[in-house]
Amino acid sequence: MDAGLDKVEGILEKEVAIVDGIDISGPWNRMFEQRVIWDYTPELIEKVASLPGAESFAWCYQCAKCVPVCPVDQVGDYGPRKLYRMAQTGVDLLNHDALWLCTTCRNCVRVCKKVVDMVKIMPAAREQAVLNGFVPEELQTAFENTAKYGNPLGQSQRKRAAWTKKSDVPVPIMKDVKRAEVLWYVGSYPSYHPRGIDASLAAARIFNALNVDFAILGREEKDDGDSQRLAGELGLFEMLAEHNIKVFEKYDWDLMVVTGPHEYNAFKKEYKERFGFDRPIQHYTQFLADRLDQLKPMLKHEIPLKVTFHDPCYLGRHHGEYDAPRALLQAIPGLELVEMGRCRENGYCCGGGGGGMWLDSFTINHTTMRLSERRVLEAVAYGADVLAVSCPFEVSRFEDAAKSTGNDQLKVLDILELLDMSMRGVGLAA
Amino acid sequence: MSEGTVLIIGAGPAGLEAARTAAQLGANVVLVEKRDRVGGTPDESNYAKLTHHFRDADEAIGELAEAATSHPHVQVLTNSQVVSVAGEAGDFRVGIQNGAGAKTVHAGAIIVATGFQHFDPGRETQYYNYYSFSDVITIADMEGMLKAHQVVRPSNGQPPERVAFIQCVGSRDRQIGNEYCSKVCCGIASKQAIEVKQQLPNSRVFIFYIDMRMYGYWENELYWPAQEQHHVNYVKGLVSEILAKDDRLLIRGEDTTMGRPMEVVMDLVVLSVGMEPSQGTRQVAEILGLEQNKYGYIQAGGPTHIDPVATSRPGIFVAGAAARPSDLDDTFATAGLAAARAVATLRQPVMA
Repeated sequence: MDAGLDKVEGILEKEVAIVDGIDISGPWNRMFEQRVIWDYTPELIEKVASLPGAESFAWCYQCAKCVPVCPVDQVGDYGPRKLYRMAQTGVDLLNHDALWLCTTCRNCVRVCKKVVDMVKIMPAAREQAVLNGFVPEELQTAFENTAKYGNPLGQSQRKRAAWTKKSDVPVPIMKDVKRAEVLWYVGSYPSYHPRGIDASLAAARIFNALNVDFAILGREEKDDGDSQRLAGELGLFEMLAEHNIKVFEKYDWDLMVVTGPHEYNAFKKEYKERFGFDRPIQHYTQFLADRLDQLKPMLKHEIPLKVTFHDPCYLGRHHGEYDAPRALLQAIPGLELVEMGRCRENGYCCGGGGGGMWLDSFTINHTTMRLSERRVLEAVAYGADVLAVSCPFEVSRFEDAAKSTGNDQLKVLDILELLDMSMRGVGLAA
Repeated sequence: MSEGTVLIIGAGPAGLEAARTAAQLGANVVLVEKRDRVGGTPDESNYAKLTHHFRDADEAIGELAEAATSHPHVQVLTNSQVVSVAGEAGDFRVGIQNGAGAKTVHAGAIIVATGFQHFDPGRETQYYNYYSFSDVITIADMEGMLKAHQVVRPSNGQPPERVAFIQCVGSRDRQIGNEYCSKVCCGIASKQAIEVKQQLPNSRVFIFYIDMRMYGYWENELYWPAQEQHHVNYVKGLVSEILAKDDRLLIRGEDTTMGRPMEVVMDLVVLSVGMEPSQGTRQVAEILGLEQNKYGYIQAGGPTHIDPVATSRPGIFVAGAAARPSDLDDTFATAGLAAARAVATLRQPVMA
């Protein structure tokens, strides 16, 4: 909001104006707001910073390192240091749309010299907003679905294992076997979403091929609740955590393998720190990378495609795992791994984290394009045929984005699907 | 040859520390002070607390004064001024004038510790109406109010609800010729902002700055606690002018990180005035024939340019803020070094 301003007494012409997802910036359609700062409102900084967990909000000294790495700023006008100044100049964040744009991707904290931790600030501030009844409708629906059905999609709890009927290999249920070496926590999207189920079926085949002694929880499994927590529903998260931990402890297993990075964060960090649940847990990429000697000879069929990998925020930045997914991709014969500019520590965000999964219609009113669309454009710019993912939130997000940006030729595949294809030689379109 | 005496001019922190160290190294010290008491600017300007652990200034400087003046080898001449110097390193004859008359002291080496003065914001009329608005004060004025636990608006004696500090007043300024950074004002303003919040917890305190120069440990000892624990508001962008508005002050500037004009009402505005060489520093430099830099500070550096206590005249050393804007760490460090050099001169005169 600097260059290109007309000087009009008392008001500020917005250089960037995005309404309902449409960029209407320009002199032909002016948006104005108050120009002069008449007062500072440190009490609105305190309003956020006084919430438990949000203390660091008040620490920002405006170096602005966070802004260029904020994925939301890439498609709009956002960033932690801007939130601080907004609060200091009259904006009550607890009652402002900006509160819901952060995906808790953690890229700002990574570069922040003062460790202003949006990953802790956001859930604290949103929890307060939720308590005050200020919550976008579609997010509220996801909360209600999760509370009612144990998953944010609003699918029947009893049908959580229905996908296994499509499996051509056995998928044992813990209730029947009581003991398995590996407890596979499938997750909500891999249980219900059609494209998530594709990855689950692939995983089942791979586990069987590797002779893994595994079982799933089936209808006893509920959503991990971590993204709901980050979106402000701490109570719901705690309810789900207590349920899930009880179920986990009911059975005899040695290692938990999760499909999703958000679940990985939930169990490995949040359940551990908040409930003392401390058991061995691996993301599936880590589990399979550890068995690469056994897996690699089975990857017989070439996938002669240029594949780029999107680091999930909650596997990469949040837990430092960058190598396991790449090791799996590189084990596939014929596959050429191309890295996008924003990868590994500086990986871009799909927009699904921190509740973003359930805020797409809301968010698009404040950005020029979806984060997933921005990422797809990057993948295409780097010449990829396939955008490989390892987070169940991402497949549907990126497939939609590929379509909406006119890049249908870009295939979005979970690493599980790619491994399965290479094992079986089926499903290769190219 | 040396008579074993170091003559030190100025009994502020630099002079006191130099006296203590020189005496401890075995020299006789004559400490000449123009005022009727030792302690220098911290004493004269009623400093409340030091940046070092927020130590009480009277107490800390008092301890230093006691250590220096109680040493049997230190002779203090108050109400006294140096009026002439003759001779050379190892054999100076220094003329001293006081109420009782004139006398000559023989000294092998001289240390100039005549310090600084606070920039006078009335020197240029555009400096925020300091002499027109009673509620516009300087950080030096604020020290006295903090010391008395009487932080008030001078106009009405009431505690201010809103206090603004304006940085770099009289520093980093080509217009007035003080191009240097005065180095301590960012830290002092932050220290004072913390003290204001401690004494007036309901007040709002703002610091308007070009860039905060919180070098070294001041960053996390002053700047961060001021913002994080005491909720001091730092706003980038210097206030351009202060207007009277009703019985309060309207400060106008640009909030540069927002790119927006800013017009906010304040009760009390504190000018973070910088340092200038004191009148005493300028006079003593003249009398001793020492080179001064373009700002009037005694030129330090010596032939190598890197000796912080060497002056243009062998055997005469400079300590503390007589040579440059200095905080107490700089002052103590240069005072100790000057004392060591001075004592070395007594023992092995440098014939330039």
